[in-house]
Amino acid sequence: MVISAGLVTVVGLLSDEGSAPALLMTFTIQMIAVVAAIAVLIGVLNLAAVHLGRFAHAEHGWPYSVVMLFVMVAVIVLSILDRAEIWSGELEGEQISLRAFEAVQVSLESALAALLAFFLVFAAYRLMRRRVTVWSLVFSVTLIVVLVGWIPFEELDVLADVRDWLVRVPVSAGMRGLLIGVGLGTVMVGIRVLLGQDRSYKS
Amino acid sequence: MSDIELTWIGLGVALAVTLIGLVLARLRPPRLRPIPAYVVLPETAADAVESDNRMHLSFGSSAIGETSTVSALASAEVFYRLAERLAVSPQPPLITTSAGLTLPLAQDTLRRAYTYRDRLPAWRSTSAAWFPQGARSLAFAAGASSLAADRDVFSTVLLGRFGIELALMGESALRHDQALVAHSDLPEGQAIAYAQADHALIGEELYVGPAYLNGRAIEVGGVLALDVLRWLVIVGILAAAIDAAL
Repeated sequence: MVISAGLVTVVGLLSDEGSAPALLMTFTIQMIAVVAAIAVLIGVLNLAAVHLGRFAHAEHGWPYSVVMLFVMVAVIVLSILDRAEIWSGELEGEQISLRAFEAVQVSLESALAALLAFFLVFAAYRLMRRRVTVWSLVFSVTLIVVLVGWIPFEELDVLADVRDWLVRVPVSAGMRGLLIGVGLGTVMVGIRVLLGQDRSYKS
Repeated sequence: MSDIELTWIGLGVALAVTLIGLVLARLRPPRLRPIPAYVVLPETAADAVESDNRMHLSFGSSAIGETSTVSALASAEVFYRLAERLAVSPQPPLITTSAGLTLPLAQDTLRRAYTYRDRLPAWRSTSAAWFPQGARSLAFAAGASSLAADRDVFSTVLLGRFGIELALMGESALRHDQALVAHSDLPEGQAIAYAQADHALIGEELYVGPAYLNGRAIEVGGVLALDVLRWLVIVGILAAAIDAAL
């Protein structure tokens, strides 16, 4: 089944739009989307069942389960109200469920993202403590040049130019090299799947 | 030559070199160049079993059905080889993911390993955990790191698709004195993995993992094929550059 689905998709992608292989590929992908949607639904129901069980049996951390269930029901209700377009006045046309999501998730993630710069600088310091090699030196010097290059002082214009060159030439080349490597690796695993030799879906 | 023709030729060449690599690997198994992370991973798993500790394995946001499907499959194969070793321990490994559809793959990877060791009754589906996904998956990073710390894991292996959230997970692992092996198929995650991890896997090294961990001939042949393809790409780039310069 996996080999057939893989072959249908590859042939469909490389065929002209509207041809029989392309239509078969579209049908296959739609079937996969339906299966994925059902899997997500089962996942949501399972999540609710697990937390209801924790609440019912008063297991360790049950108050968190109550919060989770409350938020889940609230977001589902808000989504239904959004679809029904019942909001009026200033809220008319707004997606309140999306706003609620952004208010919590985006704020939380932004707060964590603010810490990342410190983690990275500390990681570079630790890298130098752990193993001083040519490459760790290059990494640390580059990090310092790029960070200092962002400081908006006229005296540091030279470093800003160096930073721009670093980003444009070696960083860009390195990123392309990495992505080509990942692409080649992807092709090799894909070939293994098409040959039926990948075991991640077998017993 | 059109893009479609080029793609067919590319696929044909990849298939041919894989089959040639398979035959060569069966005739005379090659000696693969050592990759430090794959030297350390089996030793780390053995240490975890002997010291009765857990390992934390994470797919990040590698997702079945998306562009990172192959990363998820490759990571699952490496995790399976580790879980095979860890299945004899009373402490099951913890697998985390931020992609809902990767959760069944994570659970099944562990189930297969426990079945292989004939210890299926010890398998628990709750050893695989999902945390919310997002553009940067930072909520996932916070949740997974917190769970790993709660379960007192001994070492952390992050393979698959990670962005900047890898910094958060790596920092947490290092603060809790966990050994850290990391990889990402995204450049920003890869850079962080290089800086933070005790051993980082770079680029395509993730996809050759099965060949290094008790690999079969088809997997070792795949490594040979990957090397051939890499050289073909290098020659192609040089030829294009010379052609453009002339």
